[in-house]
Amino acid sequence: MQTQKQLLIAGLVALTVAAAQAAGDAKKIVVDGSTTVGPIAKAFAEYYMKAHPDVNITVSESGSGNGAKGIINGSIDVGTMSRAMKTEELDAAKGKKRNPVQHIVAFDGIAAVVHPSNPVKNLSKDQLRDIYTGEINNWKKVGGPDLKIVVISRDTNSGTYETFQEKVTKSERVTDRAEYVGSNGAVRQRVQSTPGAIGYVGLAFTEGVKALTVNEIEATTDNVISKKYPISRGLFMYTDGAPAAGTALADYVGLYKTADGKKLVGDQGYVPVQ
Amino acid sequence: MLRLGTRKLLDRSFTGLGVLSITLLTAALLILLAPMCLRGIGAYVFQGTVEFRRVLLEKLQRGDRDELKRELAATARARQPVFDALLAFQQELDRMPATQRRKLKPEFEQVRAAVKELLGPLPGEEIPLMMRSQYGQTRWDRAQVKIRKILFAEDYDFSGGGLGRKMLKPRATTFHGTALEPLFAYVEHHAVAMLAPQWTFYGRFLTDESHDAHFFGGIGPEALGTLYLTLGAILFAVPMGVIAAIYLVEYARENRLVRLLRICISTLAGVPSIVFGLFGLAFFINTVHLSANKSVLVGALTLGLLILPTIIRASEEALRAVPEAYKQAALSLGAGHWRSVRTVILPAALPGILTGVIISMGRAAGETAPIIFTAAVSVGKPLTLWQTLSQPTPALPWNIYNLCSEHVAVDEIRHVQYGMVFTLVVLVLLLNLAAIIVRARISKGLRT
Repeated sequence: MQTQKQLLIAGLVALTVAAAQAAGDAKKIVVDGSTTVGPIAKAFAEYYMKAHPDVNITVSESGSGNGAKGIINGSIDVGTMSRAMKTEELDAAKGKKRNPVQHIVAFDGIAAVVHPSNPVKNLSKDQLRDIYTGEINNWKKVGGPDLKIVVISRDTNSGTYETFQEKVTKSERVTDRAEYVGSNGAVRQRVQSTPGAIGYVGLAFTEGVKALTVNEIEATTDNVISKKYPISRGLFMYTDGAPAAGTALADYVGLYKTADGKKLVGDQGYVPVQ
Repeated sequence: MLRLGTRKLLDRSFTGLGVLSITLLTAALLILLAPMCLRGIGAYVFQGTVEFRRVLLEKLQRGDRDELKRELAATARARQPVFDALLAFQQELDRMPATQRRKLKPEFEQVRAAVKELLGPLPGEEIPLMMRSQYGQTRWDRAQVKIRKILFAEDYDFSGGGLGRKMLKPRATTFHGTALEPLFAYVEHHAVAMLAPQWTFYGRFLTDESHDAHFFGGIGPEALGTLYLTLGAILFAVPMGVIAAIYLVEYARENRLVRLLRICISTLAGVPSIVFGLFGLAFFINTVHLSANKSVLVGALTLGLLILPTIIRASEEALRAVPEAYKQAALSLGAGHWRSVRTVILPAALPGILTGVIISMGRAAGETAPIIFTAAVSVGKPLTLWQTLSQPTPALPWNIYNLCSEHVAVDEIRHVQYGMVFTLVVLVLLLNLAAIIVRARISKGLRT
């Protein structure tokens, strides 16, 4: 009697495990990285999962640096980045026998944003640099009111930060008075609530704040396409090796090449790949 | 020796301080919780427009098709004058002299964009791909914000020098004398007919998946993820914690090693939660490869580690509080050490242990830092039990933070954020309530 019961229980357990295993076979794609690329990754995920309900695509946005780290450690399938991988990162990946493959999914400008009540309309690239290195610390010096400039910067894990460093501050040290925040959305909120603040965000994040013209050029997608706008960059997805054709991963990452994918990119205020 | 008068005075002032602190606490709770709950309830109960019912029917296959058809026909009739005015002005614009056209066109584009945000795509337009631009405003409160955006241009007056002052310029004056002018009065007075707001109870907000990155739908995956993580952490930490406590109280001899162990446990209880999160990432994912990526399993284990010290300490205290006489009685009746622990001491200590579990459960449900690197993602599907072993999940505490700091259109979806906060608070309360009831039952059983 006792053994019969035990057998029955063992059988039941085996059955549930088998059933669960079958159910768990559904495909998954884990995406992590840039907060700038996040909206694109989320829109692609929604679009792809509508046609393929058996795939679970999870997207998180913890910064471009984490996108690179995830690919190096093999803990994610797609690393989204708003800058290209650096040599050290590529070396680290090679050291772990990984082969990061770059997909340029869109282009984007970085807009310098201020509070809408700020009368300043334009800054030259040099003025922008001087503000971020701390040489200019009052709006008076760039034609604004007598008000201290509150400098908001992205954290060093951010691809937007790296691009801004490369194109604007030319790798000079950012002023000690700068506030570092962790995402595009956080920069926007900080600027939106602080009259003296200046920050920089991807083009999709300018709602509610005023985007300045840089060198008299407006931060618009058109000016990014024509390369007139001076602070622009590519947005990337990285995979470990080129995904095999026909897999969910290849289809998901390749969405940016399709007509619908381009529309999704464009509708959110980014520049689709031509 | 104090004089009687002084003693009475001291006594009274102490009572006064006590009452004051309790009043302050209650006031803080009210100030904190009342608006949070009120706004949170707004995610469940609100005035839904016809657009909301359209989303329900078209995307979630819920609702009465014929009823909606009638409603759509009625609202379409009410909307027609708006579309007519837009079209008429478009033609008028083409006939205008170039200088005037250049002046009015940008603002006309703003009006048109605002109308599209309020009512959805204009008739004859191609249906956009993003779901957020396929529908108008689903909530009456949001619709009113958009109506203001149609009626007034937000501008800043820089004439005074210094910072500009915000001004709301009525667009009706800008477009005075044009074919667009009647649109503004019409929108203001016929908004109800165009959107047909109705009080709606959207209970499935708790279980629906989110659509288009939380623009539509509910918080099902987040609520489920939090439940998985909390229960997983408890499942791991309670047996481990109670066994450790029994060992420390009943079996371990008081020596230097055990004292050191106790100090370690107390220290562990004070370690910041983000350290646990990083440990979870470094150990479970990158070192032992428990799962290839973030997963509920890893998150639950990390949370389990976080609450383990609390559970050990609470269980230890509860076990120590059991009168020595119980144990001696059990031993004198011939029970072995293990048997007396199992049948006498543990049941007597259970209410105290459960108190520790209750406190930890609330903590596990609300912690954000440990799950950032180990389990939580911004968007994902609800998981089956088996998938929790290998896949990450959205979870309430993380998504509350994520929505308010990283979402592209956070102002559009505040209600979702408040809904999540409210749900998390209620979830923790319910978990606690369940545990309190269980504890009361056990205590009652012990007394009889």
